[in-house]
Amino acid sequence: MSSIDKKKTSLRVLSQAQAQAPARAAEGSDTQKPTYWRSLAELEQSPEFLELASREFAMPLDQEPPNSPGRRRFMQIMGASMSLAGLDACRWREDKILPLSRRPEGMIPGSSRPFATAMEINGLAVGLHAMSYDGRPIKIEGNPQHPDSRGAAAAFHQASVLGLYDPDRSESVVARAGGARKESSWAEFQKTLSDLSTGLRSARGSGLCVLSERSSSPTLLAQKQRLLDTYPEAKWVTFEPTQSDGARAGSVLAFGKAHRVHYAFDAARVVLTLDADVVAPTFPAGLANARALTRLRTPERGQMSRIYAVESDQSLVAGLSDHRLAVRSSWIKAIAAELDARISAKVNALPELGAPQAAPAAAFLKDEKVQKFVSALLGDLLLSPNIGRSVIAVGPNQPAEVHALGYRLNQLLGNVGRTVFFTEDSDAADTSDVAALKSLVAEMNAGKVSTLVMLGGNPVYDAPADLSFSDALGKVKTSIHLALYEDETSERSSIHLPAAHYLESWGDARSLDGTISIVQPLIAPLYGGRTASELLAMLLGVGNPNGLELVRRTHPSLSAEHVWRKTLSEGVIAGSGVQRVAPKLKPLDKFPLSDFELSSKGVELVFATDAKIIDGRFANNAWLQELPETFSKLSWDNAVLISPRTAQELGVKEADSVTLTLAGRSVSLLALIAPGHADGSLKITLGHGRKSAGHVGGLVAESIDPVGGNAYAIRTSDAYQIAQGVGVTSNGTVPYRVPSTQDVYSVGAIGLSGTAERLPELVREGTLEEYKKKPDFVEEIVEHNPLLSLWVPPVSYEGHKWGMSIDLNKCIGCSACVTACQAENNIPVVGKLNVAMGREMLWLRVDRYYKGPPEDAEVAFQPIPCQQCENAPCEQVCPVGATMHSHEGLNDMIYNRCIGTRYCSNNCPYKVRRFNYFNYNLDTIGITPYTPTDDPKAKVKAMIFNPEVTVRSRGVMEKCTFCVQRIQNTKIKAKNAKRAIPDNEIRTACQQTCPTDAIVFGDLNDGRSRVASLQKQPRSYALLGELNNHPRVQYLARIKNPNPALAPAQEPKKEHG
Amino acid sequence: MAISDVNPFVEPPRGPNMFAQITDNVTRIAEVDKPPRAWYIAFGFAQLVLLMFLSSLGYVVWNGIGAWGNMMPVAWGFPIVNFVFWIGIGHAGTLISAILFLLRQNWRTAINRFAEAMTIFAVVCAGVFPGVHIGRPWLPYYMMPIPNQMDMWPQFRSPLEWDIFAVSTYATVSILFWYMGMIPDFATFRDRATTTVRRVAYGIVAMGWRGSSRQWHRYERAYLILAALATPLVLSVHSVVSFDFATAQLPGWHTTIFPPYFVAGAIFGGFAMVVVLAVPARQFFGLKRIITIRHLELMNKIIIATGLLVGYSYGMEFFIAWYSGGKYEQFTFVNRAFGPYAWAYWTMISCNVLIPQLHWFKAIRTNPWTTLAIGLFVNVGMWFERFVIICTSLTRDFLPSSWGYFIPTPVDYMTLGGSFGLFFTLFLLFCRYLPMVAMSEVKAFSPAAHAAHAHAGEHAHVPAPSHAEPAAALES
Repeated sequence: MSSIDKKKTSLRVLSQAQAQAPARAAEGSDTQKPTYWRSLAELEQSPEFLELASREFAMPLDQEPPNSPGRRRFMQIMGASMSLAGLDACRWREDKILPLSRRPEGMIPGSSRPFATAMEINGLAVGLHAMSYDGRPIKIEGNPQHPDSRGAAAAFHQASVLGLYDPDRSESVVARAGGARKESSWAEFQKTLSDLSTGLRSARGSGLCVLSERSSSPTLLAQKQRLLDTYPEAKWVTFEPTQSDGARAGSVLAFGKAHRVHYAFDAARVVLTLDADVVAPTFPAGLANARALTRLRTPERGQMSRIYAVESDQSLVAGLSDHRLAVRSSWIKAIAAELDARISAKVNALPELGAPQAAPAAAFLKDEKVQKFVSALLGDLLLSPNIGRSVIAVGPNQPAEVHALGYRLNQLLGNVGRTVFFTEDSDAADTSDVAALKSLVAEMNAGKVSTLVMLGGNPVYDAPADLSFSDALGKVKTSIHLALYEDETSERSSIHLPAAHYLESWGDARSLDGTISIVQPLIAPLYGGRTASELLAMLLGVGNPNGLELVRRTHPSLSAEHVWRKTLSEGVIAGSGVQRVAPKLKPLDKFPLSDFELSSKGVELVFATDAKIIDGRFANNAWLQELPETFSKLSWDNAVLISPRTAQELGVKEADSVTLTLAGRSVSLLALIAPGHADGSLKITLGHGRKSAGHVGGLVAESIDPVGGNAYAIRTSDAYQIAQGVGVTSNGTVPYRVPSTQDVYSVGAIGLSGTAERLPELVREGTLEEYKKKPDFVEEIVEHNPLLSLWVPPVSYEGHKWGMSIDLNKCIGCSACVTACQAENNIPVVGKLNVAMGREMLWLRVDRYYKGPPEDAEVAFQPIPCQQCENAPCEQVCPVGATMHSHEGLNDMIYNRCIGTRYCSNNCPYKVRRFNYFNYNLDTIGITPYTPTDDPKAKVKAMIFNPEVTVRSRGVMEKCTFCVQRIQNTKIKAKNAKRAIPDNEIRTACQQTCPTDAIVFGDLNDGRSRVASLQKQPRSYALLGELNNHPRVQYLARIKNPNPALAPAQEPKKEHG
Repeated sequence: MAISDVNPFVEPPRGPNMFAQITDNVTRIAEVDKPPRAWYIAFGFAQLVLLMFLSSLGYVVWNGIGAWGNMMPVAWGFPIVNFVFWIGIGHAGTLISAILFLLRQNWRTAINRFAEAMTIFAVVCAGVFPGVHIGRPWLPYYMMPIPNQMDMWPQFRSPLEWDIFAVSTYATVSILFWYMGMIPDFATFRDRATTTVRRVAYGIVAMGWRGSSRQWHRYERAYLILAALATPLVLSVHSVVSFDFATAQLPGWHTTIFPPYFVAGAIFGGFAMVVVLAVPARQFFGLKRIITIRHLELMNKIIIATGLLVGYSYGMEFFIAWYSGGKYEQFTFVNRAFGPYAWAYWTMISCNVLIPQLHWFKAIRTNPWTTLAIGLFVNVGMWFERFVIICTSLTRDFLPSSWGYFIPTPVDYMTLGGSFGLFFTLFLLFCRYLPMVAMSEVKAFSPAAHAAHAHAGEHAHVPAPSHAEPAAALES
């Protein structure tokens, strides 16, 4: 007999025994009363009891028929007990927790709350809101109160929260001696430090040097002063690899003093950018500029600004510009000189402004195209209504002279004080960062530096190659490196200290206009990191510094608790901006133009800040690595960009591997042909090719290849921004597929002609003139038959009817929305190989199209989320009903039902659906809801997940949901408060972060909503609307405001009958 | 008895008369103690390829569909190409057994049995793919209308749902038809069995067949009814499969010509597969007297006819694309012929349209080896037809930003090649254990069956076959 049978038998025996028990009691009732009794009735052996006990069932079955409420109640109770019974089977992990005996004020479990904080890069802070969910930050949004954000955040801001949970972050103090790595602790470091500071104090700080990242933190600067007071002989050097000195030096040249320049683009009728991507998030106040610049790009106002861009590479502002001239970066000086010569002559420059620059005699300026461009531009700049209403902005890569000329031109055109403002930059250094670092390296080599404290930064990786910083570091006795990761510099320092992430730190920082933001932590340091100011405090003898105290001491005006709390909740100190000044222009000396600024011999190489990983600091951030670059659509790599003609001259083909040689140093990387790039100019972005970034960005020690090519390897201190005479050799095709998300391979003649044929229909565009003449010109671009359907729409859309409007005239292609979507919706990262195979998961993509001849290409961007078709092709073909139409018109995905036939994707004309070809979350995070793990690193990584959104598993389809979780949360809130949902209360993640407000979401049933009015605008059109899909997303056509003088020869237009 | 190097099937069949010779010719294949070495080699090889198939599928199920080259926008890659290819192959069998039966094409008797077997094995191969190609291969039952506690019900507007019913109905009817046709032959096997195992095994599957007149009567009726039932299925299955594409919005898929075009293509490919199997089989198993050159020639004629239909469809697709004025459709077809996958398109055109034209020459269509070669070409061409339709159309649809290029992985090739392992394993087992030729039907149309008839001769054209004298009865 099997054991199961035995059990059954014994059970049966037991139940018989139970059943017999009351009967026996009844038998013996005459003789004896029970010793133990269940009720008084039993004790008394009352007839009622005996009657009851003799029955098999306590109640006759027909006594209470299972009527409806009874049955329901039964089901409720059974359901509850079943679920409780089920819980027994769950293996709850044993965690030691201290329950909150009292709920902290304002904390509601399971709801997210924004906390104001700020992130500082390159000495400029952008105010942010970090959404905290049960004590962990999961999403970053811009702080609407902050002047440089106004609610917007760039991709790298959005992605910084992923960096917080990066398991590659260093977890402990590490001491290195003679190549041996030893994990240490802060307490031990404290001991080392006290020994050190005793020596340093007696030497008055001689031999001590602090190498800091650029920072505007008042707290840090106050501590710097305190340090220099304590150690008068100590040195403080600031080095930021992406910092260019042009603006500061140009200001010194023009005004005799360092000033910061601010542009009021929303007041400018004509904008000229000289190698200046003013709307790029890496540009000072770029997010604010983007908002301001696009404000005058709304044709409905009847007037639009006109934007001219002169640049070597395609920039974000190029997408907005009406006219663009692609010239080498080094030639822009000559163009600036030409402009100055001609404007000075026209406006009768006052003698105290100095003599104008001589008109340069450069061959390229004689070019018909350039002449025409410059003349048309001058015509616009000098038009009387535009005087004092234009902006000339100069980019960071340009030398001081061009910046000085830019200031001068703005002055000449009357812009200063109206569209261009200056503030004093009191913290500016006297020299460039490179020069400062150069002298530091010289001292290190001379053995004059015994203690080097590096506050962040990664100079071993990003210092100019000719300085050999790594060798110099070896000559320093005690080198202390505070960093988030044990990176290239940590590996060569004697002590590595784990830094606190900004979301773990107390601090403060200034925006471009000086407004101070308080950096407040969202979470206690995960790995015991310390901030730079805490380290400085330790250096000054404080045993266990308190970051909060340090910040509060810096701001005595906020000492009152209510002021402090208000400041924290607002994130900015109101009125802390620096006063605007009107600096007096000095007469400019005439500056010589060198050979390469005039001739077309050789090629130049421009070192540019990477739009995603900046200087390499975000190299280990998978969201940023996977984010397709705006123009090349390259993820997981960088490339040297070459214009089509130059590529032909150099013998480089698309996606070749090339070796760039500069002064005996070389680097090999991918080459991509960039339409619209200036001939004779190459561009490479910094920050790639890291060898000790981590498991994402490259870790040679663990055989993880670097991502991309390291531009720093050939960047020297004398050719810091633009290098001349670069050697280019092609090594032929790369052995792997290029991880690009658009134009994955050469499109070929057929593909190009097909693209050109349909592009005017996809990205509809017209001029302001055309628009004024015929506002609904977009309707006539596509001819199609009347759209008929076989059946009536099955949903009537009562209640809400969600829709979206995307203004193509405002989209700058910055891709912040893409990362915002990734953060909000738990979108997995797939890695380089899978991107190369075309399996990226991003729900929202920004399509980039070029128009016109490749050497002079215009660029257009088109963000493509799910179009939420009313007559959705995807819904009809799903055999299991995993994608269904909601009553509010959303195409809802039911992940549990999806079996992954992928038919929906095939039938989607927009190809917005993404498929989990592998278990990407398990592969990258190491944990999914179905695969619990005890791996602590996976647990830390899993903290990034937004609990409002399902984490998808392998084999299911997913796509944009219009942030349905945000919709539902707001609906619940509104319902509880018994109120309607006002327009703009629900904002999708992409809309929320868009710096230009190009994306508007709302209820189409609400006639007064912004989205409804935008979709009613004449330039609103549905993408591929002729397919009768009724998409809920509509695009506002691009409207250009070209200068009639530069209009192409008019072709006789075909009139529609 | 050791495995023989000598092929025992080359000897002329034994027997006192033609009926006996036919029986001997067919039964000796299954009755030989051990098949010749060549069979073992072929079977072993098929097993290895099958192992590759199973391991590639195992790899895919374990790791995810990403092990194949499928990507966005080509979400359907090799697996669906293979599915449609095998379903197409599985058309000739039922066409030969059902439609040609109803049309009284008596020559079909020589080839119908293994054409039907081929059909079933091809449907088996095809049936593997929809199940494993889905993202979560453990949940294909979500597509079945099974009442369940999850409140789920299939979405019947989806052509994939129609596919399930079309293919499963087709498979069911084909198997029934095939099995029923074999019952008299199983009885012959049973009656000739020399071992108990064979007698019991064949006895069970013969279902008590005694060859009585009443049994023959019932058999004939049932056969006719099943043939009538199967006939519309031949046309419906591939029509429904073509709906997977035709009802979609994708340019290159969204076209009304697909149902007839797919059916013609399926018959075309199916017949090509029949000749590819028939030529070596008749050669190796000594069936030349049963599957004659005339049979091959007739099949080749069907190949020309359906090949021309397919060629017409290719042309018509281009014409309609031009005539419709649809920008996206026009682009798709230009891209198909001259774009990055032009090589696949021209492979398809050469194999499916140009090479079969050689069959206009009698010398070529009556030569078994050229027949075999052209049949192979057609099979390659038909695979590429599905590749062109599925992959080329998907790579470049409406928005140029989402265009891509599909590159298969080694696992894709393993799955494709491996599916032939499954097919040939089943086919070799069929050759070894089941009656390869419908003996009873062949006998009915053999000259000997009509000895009394004036026109008895090599070309028997008996209009209404009557099984007055059951073949099995003659044998006993």
